[in-house]
Amino acid sequence: MDPILALHNLEYRRGDQFTLNIGQLDFQPGRIYLLAGPNGAGKSTLLQLLGLLLPPDRGEIRFAGTVVQGGAHRQRLRRQVTLVEQSPFMFDGTVYDNLAFGLRLRDVRGDLQRHRILSALEKVGLQGFESRQARLLSGGETRRVALARAMVLRPKVLLLDEPTAGLDRDSLPLFESCLAALPGEGVTVIISTHDADQSRRLRGEVLRLEAGRLISPETVESAITYRAVKGSF
Amino acid sequence: MDFLTESLRAALALILTLDAEVVGAVWTSLYTSVAGILLAAAVGIPVGTLIGVGRFTGRRAVLTLLNTLMALPTVVVGLVIYGFLSRQGPLGALGLLFTPVAMIIGQTVLSAPIVANYTVAAVAGADPRIMTTALTLGAGRLRAAWQLLLEVRFGVMAAVVAGFGRVIAEVGVAMMLGGNIRGYTRTMTTAIALETSKGEFAFGLALGLVLMTVALIVNLFLNLLQQR
Repeated sequence: MDPILALHNLEYRRGDQFTLNIGQLDFQPGRIYLLAGPNGAGKSTLLQLLGLLLPPDRGEIRFAGTVVQGGAHRQRLRRQVTLVEQSPFMFDGTVYDNLAFGLRLRDVRGDLQRHRILSALEKVGLQGFESRQARLLSGGETRRVALARAMVLRPKVLLLDEPTAGLDRDSLPLFESCLAALPGEGVTVIISTHDADQSRRLRGEVLRLEAGRLISPETVESAITYRAVKGSF
Repeated sequence: MDFLTESLRAALALILTLDAEVVGAVWTSLYTSVAGILLAAAVGIPVGTLIGVGRFTGRRAVLTLLNTLMALPTVVVGLVIYGFLSRQGPLGALGLLFTPVAMIIGQTVLSAPIVANYTVAAVAGADPRIMTTALTLGAGRLRAAWQLLLEVRFGVMAAVVAGFGRVIAEVGVAMMLGGNIRGYTRTMTTAIALETSKGEFAFGLALGLVLMTVALIVNLFLNLLQQR
């Protein structure tokens, strides 16, 4: 089976200070990957590249076997990849309006739209929140709405930039159970995280980045070993 | 003092009795200014958005040019457009000089840089996550830019109101391109200039009061928008 996303000889420069350099990296459909590494390692940049929001300076990104081109092609493919940012932005309006934004772009309207939105809100434990003003939600609620706003689109790849950083203890299990269920629906989940135990809880494959380079793909077990040796994630 | 009191009384009478000449000048001012600002918004908002979100070579130069255009004296704008619309000018055959259309063109040119500049400020000061969020939810760049404008709509509305404030109160363009023709291109500002010079102070004062009321409303509206 073709990987859903594949990077080949990818290079991305940000000024003179930072270069992300990845020789080969494949993401298989229906799996969870965790990007680990210190601050400034390039995790967020890699997510932006995988989300087709940034074009690489060199190399190629393949989506389901097709090389991602510029312009309309990139935009079309972007509808199958959704990124939830570390500090999600809520559009002015209600929670419902925020979830409906992407659905309207995909021409999902009427009862089907409403059904999908209410169902996504229920999954993240926010049933009854649809009429609330999105900008007035707490930090934890905002993250959960952002997750629902991404899940409602049923993307093939869901990218999350440190989604659980600062999330309260009560919300964490629900949030992670939502993520854990996604591979069963065929969704590939790629998460950047500083939470060492997240890989164990989500049974994901750990990819470690350091200074813009991929150290090595690791299994959960080897990541735990690595952590035990290094004393950090 | 009696002169001023008498003139004020006469001016208020002209306004309250809806004097045809006063109403005509007010109407011409309003509709040419509204048409001019709508056209300026149609040009200035997209241009301002493009400059606000774009990162291109020469962006600083374009911003400097916009700032310069914003400060252009109205008579200079009038003069340049006069050159184009006069009988010997490249657009002379259209016969637009001394018509409301010529005034609208002049007011568009005058206010478009203001609208563009204010829009640049609104867009550049917006949360950078707006565009990224819209893009990652599946929007194209155009739709994402539209979402950005919706999010900063009060800033953009302030841009339009500021432009309107400029054109409603200007006299150079209206005088040079409209020709101050009674009942046709005579606006509040050109009428004030003419009637006062003819000694019709009360008439000028009546229009001045209306103009100041319009300016006050525009500024109140602008303040309200800038607080949002």
